[in-house]
Amino acid sequence: MTTDTLPARKRGVSLSALTDNSQIVLIGLLAVLCIGISLAAPQFYSPDNAIAILRQCALVLIVAVGMTMLLVAGEVDLSVGASLAFTGCVAMDVTNRTHSVVLGALAALAFSGAVGLFNGLVVTRLKINSLIATIATMMILQGGVYLYTREAVQNHHLLDAFTAIGAGYVGPVPIPVIIAAVIFAVGYVTLRFTLFGRYLYAVGANLRAARLSGLRAERLKLLAFVITGLLVGVAGLILASLMNAGQPTAGRGFELTVIAAVILGGTSLAGGRGTLFGTLLGVLVLKIVDNGIIILRWNQDLQMVVPGLVIILATWLDIVRRRNDAR
Amino acid sequence: MRKLLIGLLATSAVAVMVTGSAFAEKMPKKVGYVVNYATHEWYQNVIKGMKDRAAQLGFEVEVKDANLDAAKQIAAAEDFMSQGVDVLIITPVNEDAVVPLLRRAKQENMPIVLEGNPVKGMTTLVAICDYDTGYHAGVEAGKYAKEHLGGKAKVMNVGLPLLSATVLRSNGFMDGIKTEVPDAVMVHDLDGGGNPDRSFEVSAAALAQNGDVNVIYGINDSSSLGGLQAWKAAGKSQDDLLVVGTGGEGLAFINAIEKEPSYKIEAAMFPEKVGFTAIDAAVKLYNKEEVPSWIVSPTTPMLGDGWKKYYSVDGNVRTINWDAVNAVKAPDKCMKTAADLKK
Repeated sequence: MTTDTLPARKRGVSLSALTDNSQIVLIGLLAVLCIGISLAAPQFYSPDNAIAILRQCALVLIVAVGMTMLLVAGEVDLSVGASLAFTGCVAMDVTNRTHSVVLGALAALAFSGAVGLFNGLVVTRLKINSLIATIATMMILQGGVYLYTREAVQNHHLLDAFTAIGAGYVGPVPIPVIIAAVIFAVGYVTLRFTLFGRYLYAVGANLRAARLSGLRAERLKLLAFVITGLLVGVAGLILASLMNAGQPTAGRGFELTVIAAVILGGTSLAGGRGTLFGTLLGVLVLKIVDNGIIILRWNQDLQMVVPGLVIILATWLDIVRRRNDAR
Repeated sequence: MRKLLIGLLATSAVAVMVTGSAFAEKMPKKVGYVVNYATHEWYQNVIKGMKDRAAQLGFEVEVKDANLDAAKQIAAAEDFMSQGVDVLIITPVNEDAVVPLLRRAKQENMPIVLEGNPVKGMTTLVAICDYDTGYHAGVEAGKYAKEHLGGKAKVMNVGLPLLSATVLRSNGFMDGIKTEVPDAVMVHDLDGGGNPDRSFEVSAAALAQNGDVNVIYGINDSSSLGGLQAWKAAGKSQDDLLVVGTGGEGLAFINAIEKEPSYKIEAAMFPEKVGFTAIDAAVKLYNKEEVPSWIVSPTTPMLGDGWKKYYSVDGNVRTINWDAVNAVKAPDKCMKTAADLKK
């Protein structure tokens, strides 16, 4: 009897250790990936490739900061990919019409913020599950963008400042990477050191207890939706600049990459748990895998397979972690 | 007076004969088109070509969008049949899924024109030759490489291996460029998904892995532009670069040719002409005339400002020059088709 139960306990302990130290595991995984890929393809460590990886991480990380806050609060937003595409079209269109990068950027932020507000109101006021609500918003945006423009909105303004947002550099560092770093730092401080951040954890961990403690849970969630929306606006603006056009077909599957990165980083789908540092590691792992598949010249279909496997693995680890917490 | 009367009668008879031959074909009252994905620029222009031609001939085209849903496509086609349209035109979402529909249409004497890809049991198909499109663009790219790139061609193919049509374009391009530059090599063979952002991402990683490339080929405009943007984002000069796009379905390629120094060749596929030709085929079928099983719609490489011969742009509106496009000769048959990929 003892010999039967001992191995089972041992397995539980190792899984518990694995899930509790998920960030250490991720750092180890990152190291293994980097060493493995660079042994097979030395170009992996070239400055050009490092910059390419960082730029690809930037867009995902910017939106993942907001998504982490939402998931911590126990909600999710599946409309970020569709909103990204629409926002890029709005940004380019307004910049074309006004010849002002500032007005183009403000229009992008206003639009994406409004999408976030809409999602938040539908979830908090109409009490519709955020999964369903944001799938509906995604459909509205995917159809709506074609009512707005039937084809890509071309760059007719030719303003250098607009191009610099996505393709410019400060020294050797691409501007999108700097923007992502600033947003990450602000998000990190907000989530870890401010009342707003702590309240989001409280709302996500136990909504009823948070309400009984006097927290205005709906308002906090609404704010998290708006922040996510605004961050999609920043990403949309960068994408439009990078692509030199507002592309209505862009952003397909972007929401899944963002969510996969966030939950891989240890944020719980059930809310109340997660860190932005974990999200950063999740983004790096996914994008290095993506990059490695191309560098190693493997079949690119794997780029779709890997995030899918990551979502299953990370969700299962989250379930194990919660089960351990409940004991 | 008698002579004058005879002359007038003779003239009238000739006029009646000429007019009669012009309108010898009966025109359908209504043609139904079930498109596979109406939001795509290509199909918007196919629809535009259909509507323009139908308006010239004096009848109506009604369009239903399957939105990439095979079941929705069948339901839309059945709706059209029950409404009693005279001819159906279909761009299949899935070739196998429309086989039973073709069978049923035959039983009910409903003429069907297919657009895009062949299907077992079809009467006629209107389509471009994808391999030929890539091939002729490749030949022009090879000539450009000989003249401006020191006779070297190191190609990054921003492709889409999922679809036989796009694989044929890429294969055709490489075969074409090798006729002029026999040492041409494909340095990167990428899956850009046909999307601009995906094309950008995979191109950026590929260029970081090996940036020794001087030709970017895209299987559509989004792919070539995604590749070019990745090139620019990597801080590379366009001085010794050639970008070749395919499709010419919107304003994007015109914008690129006008503003990007490396974007020199566009393989035009004239989607409006595909729509135009499909309507002519529909009229022939309605009149029970013989039609070939494969009607080839023409394509041609446009070099530099050459697009102005075929299109004019006013603001955000692109207008096709029908005289120039109708003068482009289509081959009788394709050099290679999807069937050749299976060999």
